[in-house]
Amino acid sequence: MKTKTLKILSAALIMGLAHVGNASAQCDSIAKICSENVTANYISDGQSYRALLNGDQVAEFRATFYGGSTYRIAGCSGFTDGNLIFEIYDEDHNQLFASSEYKNTPYWDFQFGSTVDCTIEAKLNSANSMSGCATLIIGFKQ
Amino acid sequence: MIKSKYVNKWMGYSGALAFAAIFMVGCVSDVKKDDAGEGVAEVDSSATKLMTIGGNMFSIPSPIQTAMLIEKSGADYNKSFLNDAKKVTTYATNYQKALNLGVYGADVGYVTIYDQSQDAIKYLSVINKLSDELGITGAFDENTIKRFENNFGKRDSMLNLVAVAYRNSDAFLKDNDRMNVGALILAGGWIETLYFSTQIAVKNKNQDVINRIGEQKYTLNNIVKMLTQYYNQPEYDVLVDDLIELAYDFDAIDIQYTYEKSTVDIAKKTTKINSKTVVVITPEHLKAIADKVAKIRNKIVGQQ
Repeated sequence: MKTKTLKILSAALIMGLAHVGNASAQCDSIAKICSENVTANYISDGQSYRALLNGDQVAEFRATFYGGSTYRIAGCSGFTDGNLIFEIYDEDHNQLFASSEYKNTPYWDFQFGSTVDCTIEAKLNSANSMSGCATLIIGFKQ
Repeated sequence: MIKSKYVNKWMGYSGALAFAAIFMVGCVSDVKKDDAGEGVAEVDSSATKLMTIGGNMFSIPSPIQTAMLIEKSGADYNKSFLNDAKKVTTYATNYQKALNLGVYGADVGYVTIYDQSQDAIKYLSVINKLSDELGITGAFDENTIKRFENNFGKRDSMLNLVAVAYRNSDAFLKDNDRMNVGALILAGGWIETLYFSTQIAVKNKNQDVINRIGEQKYTLNNIVKMLTQYYNQPEYDVLVDDLIELAYDFDAIDIQYTYEKSTVDIAKKTTKINSKTVVVITPEHLKAIADKVAKIRNKIVGQQ
Protein backbone atom coordinates (compact mmCIF):
# COMPACT_ATOMS: atom_id res chain seq x y z
CA MET A 1 0.00 0.00 0.00
CA LYS A 2 2.80 2.32 1.00
CA THR A 3 4.68 1.52 -2.21
CA LYS A 4 1.60 2.27 -4.30
CA THR A 5 1.07 5.59 -2.52
CA LEU A 6 4.71 6.46 -3.05
CA LYS A 7 4.44 5.68 -6.77
CA ILE A 8 1.36 7.86 -7.11
CA LEU A 9 3.07 10.72 -5.30
CA SER A 10 6.19 10.32 -7.43
CA ALA A 11 4.14 10.37 -10.63
CA ALA A 12 2.28 13.44 -9.37
CA LEU A 13 5.58 15.14 -8.56
CA ILE A 14 6.97 14.44 -12.03
CA MET A 15 3.75 15.68 -13.63
CA GLY A 16 3.91 18.79 -11.49
CA LEU A 17 7.50 19.47 -12.47
CA ALA A 18 6.69 18.87 -16.13
CA HIS A 19 3.75 21.26 -15.85
CA VAL A 20 5.87 23.97 -14.33
CA GLY A 21 8.65 23.45 -16.88
CA ASN A 22 6.23 23.51 -19.83
CA ALA A 23 4.41 26.54 -18.47
CA SER A 24 7.67 28.45 -18.01
CA ALA A 25 8.84 27.56 -21.51
CA GLN A 26 5.48 28.54 -22.96
CA CYS A 27 5.52 31.88 -21.12
CA ASP A 28 9.11 32.54 -22.19
CA SER A 29 8.21 31.98 -25.86
CA ILE A 30 5.13 34.20 -25.62
CA ALA A 31 7.09 36.91 -23.81
CA LYS A 32 9.71 36.87 -26.54
CA ILE A 33 7.09 37.34 -29.26
CA CYS A 34 5.26 39.95 -27.19
CA SER A 35 8.42 41.99 -26.61
CA GLU A 36 8.65 42.56 -30.38
CA ASN A 37 5.67 44.90 -29.99
CA VAL A 38 7.75 47.12 -27.72
CA THR A 39 9.99 48.69 -30.32
CA ALA A 40 13.54 49.95 -29.85
CA ASN A 41 12.48 53.52 -29.08
CA TYR A 42 10.98 52.30 -25.80
CA ILE A 43 13.08 51.35 -22.79
CA SER A 44 11.92 48.28 -20.90
CA ASP A 45 10.66 48.85 -17.35
CA GLY A 46 12.84 45.89 -16.34
CA GLN A 47 10.04 43.60 -15.19
CA SER A 48 8.31 40.53 -16.53
CA TYR A 49 4.57 40.11 -15.99
CA ARG A 50 3.09 36.70 -16.67
CA ALA A 51 0.25 34.55 -15.40
CA LEU A 52 -1.32 31.22 -16.11
CA LEU A 53 -5.02 31.83 -16.54
CA ASN A 54 -8.01 29.55 -16.89
CA GLY A 55 -11.47 30.47 -18.12
CA ASP A 56 -12.61 33.85 -16.89
CA GLN A 57 -9.85 34.36 -14.33
CA VAL A 58 -8.49 37.87 -14.25
CA ALA A 59 -4.94 38.79 -13.35
CA GLU A 60 -4.45 42.26 -11.98
CA PHE A 61 -1.53 44.34 -10.96
CA ARG A 62 -0.83 47.79 -9.66
CA ALA A 63 1.35 50.18 -11.62
CA THR A 64 2.33 53.82 -11.26
CA PHE A 65 2.78 55.67 -14.53
CA TYR A 66 4.80 58.85 -14.37
CA GLY A 67 3.67 62.14 -15.85
CA GLY A 68 5.75 63.31 -18.81
CA SER A 69 6.32 59.75 -20.04
CA THR A 70 4.81 57.75 -22.85
CA TYR A 71 4.32 54.06 -22.16
CA ARG A 72 3.78 51.19 -24.50
CA ILE A 73 1.93 48.26 -23.01
CA ALA A 74 1.90 44.99 -24.95
CA GLY A 75 -0.37 42.14 -23.90
CA CYS A 76 -0.15 38.64 -25.36
CA SER A 77 -1.28 35.09 -24.84
CA GLY A 78 -0.60 32.31 -27.30
CA PHE A 79 1.27 32.92 -30.50
CA THR A 80 -1.22 35.07 -32.39
CA ASP A 81 -2.64 38.52 -31.70
CA GLY A 82 -5.93 39.14 -29.95
CA ASN A 83 -5.85 36.36 -27.38
CA LEU A 84 -5.47 38.66 -24.37
CA ILE A 85 -7.82 41.42 -23.30
CA PHE A 86 -6.42 44.09 -21.00
CA GLU A 87 -8.01 47.04 -19.28
CA ILE A 88 -6.55 49.94 -17.32
CA TYR A 89 -8.27 51.68 -14.42
CA ASP A 90 -7.30 54.67 -12.31
CA GLU A 91 -7.34 54.69 -8.51
CA ASP A 92 -11.06 55.54 -8.49
CA HIS A 93 -11.72 52.65 -10.87
CA ASN A 94 -12.50 54.90 -13.82
CA GLN A 95 -11.69 52.93 -16.93
CA LEU A 96 -8.88 54.58 -18.88
CA PHE A 97 -8.52 51.95 -21.57
CA ALA A 98 -9.94 48.64 -22.77
CA SER A 99 -8.18 46.73 -25.53
CA SER A 100 -11.50 45.10 -26.41
CA GLU A 101 -12.61 48.46 -27.83
CA TYR A 102 -9.78 48.25 -30.35
CA LYS A 103 -10.13 44.70 -31.70
CA ASN A 104 -8.09 43.31 -28.81
CA THR A 105 -5.04 45.16 -30.02
CA PRO A 106 -1.81 43.51 -28.82
CA TYR A 107 -0.28 46.85 -27.86
CA TRP A 108 -1.20 50.47 -27.23
CA ASP A 109 0.60 53.69 -26.28
CA PHE A 110 -0.30 55.92 -23.34
CA GLN A 111 0.80 59.50 -22.84
CA PHE A 112 0.64 60.52 -19.21
CA GLY A 113 0.60 64.26 -18.58
CA SER A 114 0.48 63.65 -14.85
CA THR A 115 1.46 60.71 -12.66
CA VAL A 116 -1.40 58.24 -12.18
CA ASP A 117 -1.67 55.16 -9.99
CA CYS A 118 -3.39 52.45 -12.01
CA THR A 119 -4.60 48.89 -11.97
CA ILE A 120 -4.19 46.74 -15.07
CA GLU A 121 -6.48 43.78 -15.49
CA ALA A 122 -5.79 41.04 -18.00
CA LYS A 123 -7.93 38.11 -19.05
CA LEU A 124 -8.03 35.60 -21.86
CA ASN A 125 -10.20 36.16 -24.90
CA SER A 126 -12.59 33.29 -24.29
CA ALA A 127 -13.45 33.14 -28.00
CA ASN A 128 -9.88 32.02 -28.71
CA SER A 129 -8.72 30.05 -25.69
CA MET A 130 -9.83 28.76 -22.32
CA SER A 131 -6.41 28.60 -20.70
CA GLY A 132 -2.94 29.90 -21.33
CA CYS A 133 -0.08 32.11 -20.33
CA ALA A 134 -0.88 35.81 -20.19
CA THR A 135 2.08 38.11 -20.67
CA LEU A 136 2.45 41.86 -20.40
CA ILE A 137 5.48 43.88 -21.43
CA ILE A 138 5.88 47.56 -20.55
CA GLY A 139 8.27 50.04 -22.11
CA PHE A 140 8.58 53.81 -21.72
CA LYS A 141 10.10 56.87 -23.33
CA GLN A 142 10.52 60.31 -21.82
CA MET B 1 -9.37 43.70 -1.83
CA ILE B 2 -9.21 40.23 -3.34
CA LYS B 3 -12.03 39.50 -5.69
CA SER B 4 -12.98 35.85 -5.81
CA LYS B 5 -12.54 35.45 -9.53
CA TYR B 6 -9.43 37.57 -9.55
CA VAL B 7 -6.95 34.80 -9.11
CA ASN B 8 -3.58 36.42 -9.13
CA LYS B 9 -1.51 33.66 -10.53
CA TRP B 10 1.16 35.66 -12.22
CA MET B 11 3.65 33.18 -13.45
CA GLY B 12 5.97 33.55 -10.52
CA TYR B 13 3.49 31.65 -8.45
CA SER B 14 2.88 28.83 -10.87
CA GLY B 15 5.30 26.48 -9.16
CA ALA B 16 3.40 26.82 -5.93
CA LEU B 17 0.17 26.32 -7.81
CA ALA B 18 1.27 23.15 -9.51
CA PHE B 19 2.47 21.55 -6.33
CA ALA B 20 -0.43 22.84 -4.37
CA ALA B 21 -2.76 21.30 -6.90
CA ILE B 22 -1.16 17.95 -6.34
CA PHE B 23 -0.52 17.94 -2.66
CA MET B 24 -2.94 20.33 -1.12
CA VAL B 25 -6.30 19.69 -2.71
CA GLY B 26 -8.61 18.60 0.01
CA CYS B 27 -6.03 19.30 2.67
CA VAL B 28 -6.51 23.00 3.00
CA SER B 29 -9.78 24.77 3.09
CA ASP B 30 -8.71 28.01 4.66
CA VAL B 31 -5.42 29.73 5.19
CA LYS B 32 -5.83 33.00 6.96
CA LYS B 33 -4.04 36.17 6.02
CA ASP B 34 -1.61 37.21 8.65
CA ASP B 35 -1.92 40.45 10.55
CA ALA B 36 0.48 42.21 8.24
CA GLY B 37 -2.26 42.58 5.66
CA GLU B 38 -2.49 41.93 1.96
CA GLY B 39 -0.27 39.99 -0.34
CA VAL B 40 -0.24 36.84 1.75
CA ALA B 41 -0.93 33.37 0.41
CA GLU B 42 -4.44 32.22 0.89
CA VAL B 43 -6.70 29.56 -0.49
CA ASP B 44 -9.57 30.37 -2.75
CA SER B 45 -11.59 27.29 -1.97
CA SER B 46 -14.61 28.58 -3.85
CA ALA B 47 -13.00 28.48 -7.24
CA THR B 48 -10.58 25.91 -8.48
CA LYS B 49 -9.34 24.38 -5.23
CA LEU B 50 -5.87 25.29 -6.32
CA MET B 51 -3.85 27.27 -3.88
CA THR B 52 -4.09 30.85 -5.00
CA ILE B 53 -2.14 33.87 -3.99
CA GLY B 54 -4.01 36.84 -2.65
CA GLY B 55 -3.21 40.46 -3.26
CA ASN B 56 -1.92 42.18 -6.33
CA MET B 57 1.06 41.84 -8.56
CA PHE B 58 3.08 45.02 -8.50
CA SER B 59 4.88 46.97 -11.13
CA ILE B 60 7.67 49.04 -9.62
CA PRO B 61 8.59 52.00 -11.84
CA SER B 62 11.99 51.77 -13.49
CA PRO B 63 14.81 53.56 -11.59
CA ILE B 64 15.95 54.82 -14.99
CA GLN B 65 12.94 57.12 -15.28
CA THR B 66 13.72 59.04 -12.11
CA ALA B 67 17.43 59.18 -12.97
CA MET B 68 16.43 60.76 -16.30
CA LEU B 69 14.34 63.32 -14.47
CA ILE B 70 17.27 64.14 -12.17
CA GLU B 71 19.54 64.74 -15.14
CA LYS B 72 16.86 66.88 -16.78
CA SER B 73 16.58 68.96 -13.60
CA GLY B 74 20.11 70.20 -14.20
CA ALA B 75 21.71 68.39 -11.27
CA ASP B 76 25.40 67.67 -11.78
CA TYR B 77 26.78 64.15 -11.84
CA ASN B 78 27.71 63.20 -8.30
CA LYS B 79 29.62 59.97 -7.83
CA SER B 80 29.38 60.19 -4.05
CA PHE B 81 25.68 59.26 -4.26
CA LEU B 82 26.54 55.84 -5.65
CA ASN B 83 27.38 52.62 -3.89
CA ASP B 84 31.08 51.79 -4.13
CA ALA B 85 31.57 48.93 -6.60
CA LYS B 86 34.35 47.55 -4.40
CA LYS B 87 31.82 46.74 -1.70
CA VAL B 88 30.45 43.91 -3.81
CA THR B 89 32.76 41.43 -2.07
CA THR B 90 31.31 42.28 1.36
CA TYR B 91 27.80 41.06 0.58
CA ALA B 92 27.62 37.58 2.05
CA THR B 93 23.96 36.54 2.16
CA ASN B 94 21.54 36.16 -0.73
CA TYR B 95 19.43 38.86 0.91
CA GLN B 96 22.33 41.36 0.78
CA LYS B 97 23.29 40.28 -2.72
CA ALA B 98 19.77 40.65 -4.11
CA LEU B 99 19.17 44.06 -2.58
CA ASN B 100 22.51 45.35 -3.81
CA LEU B 101 21.93 43.88 -7.25
CA GLY B 102 19.01 46.29 -7.34
CA VAL B 103 21.12 49.12 -5.92
CA TYR B 104 23.86 48.65 -8.52
CA GLY B 105 21.21 48.44 -11.26
CA ALA B 106 19.96 51.90 -10.30
CA ASP B 107 23.56 53.12 -10.17
CA VAL B 108 24.37 51.83 -13.64
CA GLY B 109 21.26 53.64 -14.93
CA TYR B 110 22.38 56.87 -13.27
CA VAL B 111 25.96 56.76 -14.59
CA THR B 112 24.77 55.82 -18.08
CA ILE B 113 22.39 58.77 -18.18
CA TYR B 114 25.33 61.03 -17.30
CA ASP B 115 27.47 59.42 -20.03
CA GLN B 116 29.97 57.97 -17.56
CA SER B 117 30.54 54.87 -19.66
CA GLN B 118 33.63 53.59 -17.86
CA ASP B 119 31.84 53.75 -14.51
CA ALA B 120 28.94 51.93 -16.12
CA ILE B 121 31.21 49.08 -17.22
CA LYS B 122 32.55 48.82 -13.68
CA TYR B 123 29.02 48.55 -12.29
CA LEU B 124 27.99 46.05 -14.95
CA SER B 125 30.88 43.85 -13.86
CA VAL B 126 29.69 43.81 -10.24
CA ILE B 127 26.12 43.20 -11.41
CA ASN B 128 27.40 40.25 -13.41
CA LYS B 129 29.20 38.93 -10.33
CA LEU B 130 26.19 39.28 -8.02
CA SER B 131 23.75 37.72 -10.46
CA ASP B 132 26.17 34.85 -10.92
CA GLU B 133 26.39 34.31 -7.16
CA LEU B 134 22.61 34.41 -6.93
CA GLY B 135 22.38 31.71 -9.60
CA ILE B 136 20.57 33.93 -12.09
CA THR B 137 21.39 32.62 -15.52
CA GLY B 138 20.77 34.03 -18.94
CA ALA B 139 20.42 37.67 -17.90
CA PHE B 140 23.82 39.24 -17.25
CA ASP B 141 27.05 37.92 -18.68
CA GLU B 142 30.17 39.01 -20.51
CA ASN B 143 28.13 39.30 -23.66
CA THR B 144 25.86 41.91 -22.02
CA ILE B 145 28.94 44.00 -21.22
CA LYS B 146 30.28 43.62 -24.75
CA ARG B 147 26.98 44.65 -26.29
CA PHE B 148 26.88 47.59 -23.89
CA GLU B 149 30.36 48.66 -25.01
CA ASN B 150 29.35 48.30 -28.65
CA ASN B 151 26.57 50.81 -28.05
CA PHE B 152 28.70 53.51 -26.41
CA GLY B 153 27.28 56.89 -27.33
CA LYS B 154 23.75 55.56 -27.88
CA ARG B 155 22.34 56.28 -24.45
CA ASP B 156 18.84 54.85 -24.86
CA SER B 157 20.20 51.65 -26.44
CA MET B 158 22.59 51.21 -23.51
CA LEU B 159 19.80 51.82 -21.00
CA ASN B 160 17.50 49.40 -22.77
CA LEU B 161 20.20 46.70 -22.80
CA VAL B 162 20.48 46.95 -19.03
CA ALA B 163 16.70 47.13 -18.55
CA VAL B 164 16.09 44.07 -20.73
CA ALA B 165 18.77 42.18 -18.79
CA TYR B 166 16.92 43.04 -15.56
CA ARG B 167 13.64 41.94 -17.15
CA ASN B 168 15.20 38.60 -18.13
CA SER B 169 16.49 38.25 -14.59
CA ASP B 170 13.00 38.96 -13.23
CA ALA B 171 11.51 36.34 -15.57
CA PHE B 172 14.14 33.78 -14.55
CA LEU B 173 13.44 34.31 -10.85
CA LYS B 174 9.68 34.05 -11.33
CA ASP B 175 10.06 30.92 -13.46
CA ASN B 176 12.15 29.38 -10.70
CA ASP B 177 9.82 30.27 -7.85
CA ARG B 178 12.23 32.82 -6.39
CA MET B 179 9.94 35.84 -6.33
CA ASN B 180 11.40 36.87 -2.98
CA VAL B 181 14.79 37.50 -4.63
CA GLY B 182 13.10 39.40 -7.47
CA ALA B 183 11.22 41.53 -4.93
CA LEU B 184 14.48 42.44 -3.17
CA ILE B 185 16.13 43.45 -6.44
CA LEU B 186 13.21 45.75 -7.24
CA ALA B 187 13.22 47.17 -3.70
CA GLY B 188 17.00 47.80 -3.81
CA GLY B 189 16.74 49.68 -7.09
CA TRP B 190 13.84 51.75 -5.84
CA ILE B 191 15.55 52.70 -2.56
CA GLU B 192 18.79 53.67 -4.31
CA THR B 193 16.94 55.94 -6.75
CA LEU B 194 14.93 57.47 -3.93
CA TYR B 195 18.20 58.00 -2.05
CA PHE B 196 19.89 60.05 -4.73
CA SER B 197 16.71 61.91 -5.69
CA THR B 198 16.11 62.99 -2.07
CA GLN B 199 19.75 64.02 -1.60
CA ILE B 200 19.53 66.13 -4.74
CA ALA B 201 16.09 67.60 -3.99
CA VAL B 202 17.07 68.78 -0.52
CA LYS B 203 19.92 70.74 -2.11
CA ASN B 204 18.58 72.04 -5.42
CA LYS B 205 14.87 72.17 -4.48
CA ASN B 206 13.82 71.31 -8.04
CA GLN B 207 10.03 71.06 -7.96
CA ASP B 208 9.80 68.26 -10.53
CA VAL B 209 12.17 66.09 -8.52
CA ILE B 210 10.33 66.94 -5.28
CA ASN B 211 7.01 65.97 -6.88
CA ARG B 212 8.53 62.71 -8.10
CA ILE B 213 9.61 61.94 -4.54
CA GLY B 214 6.08 62.61 -3.30
CA GLU B 215 4.68 60.28 -5.94
CA GLN B 216 6.74 57.48 -4.43
CA LYS B 217 4.01 57.24 -1.79
CA TYR B 218 2.18 54.94 -4.22
CA THR B 219 5.21 52.81 -4.94
CA LEU B 220 6.27 52.56 -1.31
CA ASN B 221 2.87 51.11 -0.45
CA ASN B 222 3.25 48.59 -3.27
CA ILE B 223 6.76 47.62 -2.17
CA VAL B 224 5.65 47.11 1.43
CA LYS B 225 2.80 44.89 0.26
CA MET B 226 5.13 43.00 -2.06
CA LEU B 227 7.72 42.33 0.66
CA THR B 228 5.33 41.69 3.55
CA GLN B 229 4.59 38.20 2.28
CA TYR B 230 8.23 37.29 3.05
CA TYR B 231 8.21 38.93 6.47
CA ASN B 232 8.94 35.65 8.23
CA GLN B 233 12.13 35.02 6.28
CA PRO B 234 15.40 36.02 7.95
CA GLU B 235 16.44 39.65 7.37
CA TYR B 236 13.28 40.63 5.48
CA ASP B 237 11.53 41.72 8.66
CA VAL B 238 14.04 44.50 9.33
CA LEU B 239 13.63 45.93 5.84
CA VAL B 240 9.84 45.74 5.95
CA ASP B 241 9.79 47.43 9.38
CA ASP B 242 12.08 50.19 8.07
CA LEU B 243 9.87 50.73 5.04
CA ILE B 244 6.71 50.83 7.14
CA GLU B 245 8.41 53.43 9.32
CA LEU B 246 9.20 55.40 6.17
CA ALA B 247 5.59 55.07 5.03
CA TYR B 248 4.51 57.03 8.12
CA ASP B 249 6.56 59.98 6.84
CA PHE B 250 5.04 59.59 3.39
CA ASP B 251 1.59 59.68 4.95
CA ALA B 252 2.15 63.39 5.53
CA ILE B 253 2.29 63.96 1.77
CA ASP B 254 -0.98 65.06 0.28
CA ILE B 255 -1.76 63.70 -3.19
CA GLN B 256 -4.85 65.07 -4.90
CA TYR B 257 -6.07 63.14 -7.90
CA THR B 258 -8.68 64.36 -10.38
CA TYR B 259 -10.07 62.17 -13.12
CA GLU B 260 -10.46 63.66 -16.57
CA LYS B 261 -11.64 61.86 -19.65
CA SER B 262 -8.83 60.51 -21.82
CA THR B 263 -8.46 61.34 -25.50
CA VAL B 264 -7.74 58.68 -28.10
CA ASP B 265 -5.92 58.76 -31.42
CA ILE B 266 -6.87 55.45 -32.98
CA ALA B 267 -4.62 55.88 -36.02
CA LYS B 268 -1.60 56.29 -33.77
CA LYS B 269 -2.83 53.68 -31.31
CA THR B 270 -2.39 56.21 -28.55
CA THR B 271 -4.44 57.28 -25.57
CA LYS B 272 -3.65 60.55 -23.84
CA ILE B 273 -4.39 60.33 -20.14
CA ASN B 274 -5.66 63.74 -19.07
CA SER B 275 -6.23 63.02 -15.36
CA LYS B 276 -4.28 65.22 -12.98
CA THR B 277 -2.32 64.52 -9.83
CA VAL B 278 -1.10 67.27 -7.52
CA VAL B 279 1.52 66.52 -4.87
CA VAL B 280 1.86 68.68 -1.76
CA ILE B 281 5.02 68.12 0.27
CA THR B 282 6.58 70.55 2.72
CA PRO B 283 10.37 71.14 2.99
CA GLU B 284 10.25 69.67 6.51
CA HIS B 285 8.66 66.46 5.29
CA LEU B 286 11.11 66.28 2.44
CA LYS B 287 14.04 66.56 4.85
CA ALA B 288 12.56 63.95 7.18
CA ILE B 289 12.07 61.55 4.28
CA ALA B 290 15.57 62.23 2.94
CA ASP B 291 17.13 61.44 6.33
CA LYS B 292 15.16 58.26 6.78
CA VAL B 293 15.82 57.03 3.25
CA ALA B 294 19.56 57.67 3.74
CA LYS B 295 19.53 55.52 6.88
CA ILE B 296 17.72 52.64 5.17
CA ARG B 297 19.90 52.86 2.09
CA ASN B 298 23.13 53.02 4.04
CA LYS B 299 22.06 49.99 6.05
CA ILE B 300 21.53 48.11 2.79
CA VAL B 301 24.85 49.02 1.22
CA GLY B 302 26.74 48.60 4.50
CA GLN B 303 27.60 52.22 5.13
CA GLN B 304 26.42 52.78 8.67
